[in-house]
Amino acid sequence: MMAAIATLVAGVVLGYLGQRSRMCFVGGIRDFMLVRDRYLLRGLIAFGVTAWLAFPLMTAIGAPGVGPFGASDVVTVILTACGGFGVGYISTLANGCPFRQHVLAAQGVISSAAYLAGFLAGALIFHAWAAPLLLRLLPAWG
Amino acid sequence: MTGIVGGLLAVIAGSLFEVRPPDAYGLCMACHARDLVDWTINAAAGTQLTVAPASLVFPVLTPIGVLLGALMAARTSGEFRWQQPEHPLKTFLYGILVMNCALLAGGCSIRLLLRTSAGEPAGMIGFGALAAGVIVATQWLRWRATR
Repeated sequence: MMAAIATLVAGVVLGYLGQRSRMCFVGGIRDFMLVRDRYLLRGLIAFGVTAWLAFPLMTAIGAPGVGPFGASDVVTVILTACGGFGVGYISTLANGCPFRQHVLAAQGVISSAAYLAGFLAGALIFHAWAAPLLLRLLPAWG
Repeated sequence: MTGIVGGLLAVIAGSLFEVRPPDAYGLCMACHARDLVDWTINAAAGTQLTVAPASLVFPVLTPIGVLLGALMAARTSGEFRWQQPEHPLKTFLYGILVMNCALLAGGCSIRLLLRTSAGEPAGMIGFGALAAGVIVATQWLRWRATR
């Protein structure tokens, strides 16, 4: 229950700030490539650097830390790379990362609402069909 | 500013507020939405769809929070207005594909960056691949526009 409340509060804060700042996790790289605009890219870098500093800080104050991370097997690495590439490629075509699509849907963009409907349906499709199919094709992965 | 607050909240939620395991799970639009959908369907239909351990008892509510926060911001700034969709079926399919790719990679763009910041090698590979995907798609869009 604690996790649900914490993520709800964090979500409200980030949704508010994300709407005001147009934060997008793929838009930063895209805008920099297209027009050399660093505004969104700065947000992406700030997120990464802040998290990178905050993880050891949490460990220092006695909170549970992260890791150590063991080496992943080759299949997991390949699937992670394929999935990551797909997220980046399709999110760019869709004109925004999943976070940005949530924000746009909340400000009345019906295309983004359609995206969210697909996004939620996608979770069901993945666990009901795509993941079992992958597990059958790649038994070593399971 | 949003980046700094986002990074802090993502780490604090994961470390101090039990949004774990898995590690570096404090913020993810795909995994958290998956947890919410699967948990709800499991509760309603008695199915056994996958949810992360952090969401076993009650699901994480990040997607609802983001929608509420963005709605508040859009309403208070006067930026809320309904905009008719141009290609709703295409964006619906994009949503399906992005969710499937994100669950394959173990996180959306946010969590891949979070895993990279946490020092997870697979997360770094995933984020590198994501950046490559954005670069290739941007080149494709530029090529198509100038053709």
